[in-house]
Amino acid sequence: MLILTRRPGERVVIGDEVLVTVMSVSGHTVRLGIAAPPGVPIYREEIWLAVKEENRAAAAASTDALPSAPPNTPAAEQAPTAGVRPAPADEQVPSEEHPADP
Amino acid sequence: MSVTFQSIRFGAVEIQPQDVIEFPFGLIGLGGLRYALIDRNPGTGFLWLHSVDDPALALPVVSPHQFFAGYRLQIAAEDSERTGIDDLSRATLYVTVRATPDPLDITANLRAPLVICDGLGYQVINTNEDAPLQAPLFALPTRHKIAS
Repeated sequence: MLILTRRPGERVVIGDEVLVTVMSVSGHTVRLGIAAPPGVPIYREEIWLAVKEENRAAAAASTDALPSAPPNTPAAEQAPTAGVRPAPADEQVPSEEHPADP
Repeated sequence: MSVTFQSIRFGAVEIQPQDVIEFPFGLIGLGGLRYALIDRNPGTGFLWLHSVDDPALALPVVSPHQFFAGYRLQIAAEDSERTGIDDLSRATLYVTVRATPDPLDITANLRAPLVICDGLGYQVINTNEDAPLQAPLFALPTRHKIAS
């Protein structure tokens, strides 16, 4: 790994098109400005790792791990172990039963 | 003139050329430049985003709007520029799904949805705070939780 020492306002150039500027340093926090072509996605490492992990977990799915039958009984009528079927697109269930928060 | 690709899950899959979705940047950490959406579980809302080039690469996806009322997508200006999609309402959204034997454990990644528009697809980061990486697809009504 290449290790460089830079001061606020100084830059690092990666290739001919990626420019990393040290904007400011405050305690343990460094602010970076990154200029890159639109074709170069830039992520914070933790979100990149987390999404990569979710993608890999999704791609590991076997075909029998998904519900195979169309929705039948409303979820509320089923026993917990019977599995819950998704509601059809034109019949969305109330949001409180499907919270968007974990 | 249809296109046929191989799948380790489904065997030979036949699609129309216009069904091929090009992902110029692939999926994050997975790659894959050409995919197609195939429906092998009709009526369930689950589709497979299947690589046209890699027989083993496929992810279950769902429409976030079908399972999460009020789902909202906000993307950073850089992502708008990168994808060239200035009007998200024209795009179709999907989210990847972590499949598990117990349906109650199935989760969807609301943080990094797939945005598909005019035959091009992108995985973007949702900057909306209410978009977890693992959102349960199915939740039991409260009274079942209490009863168990």
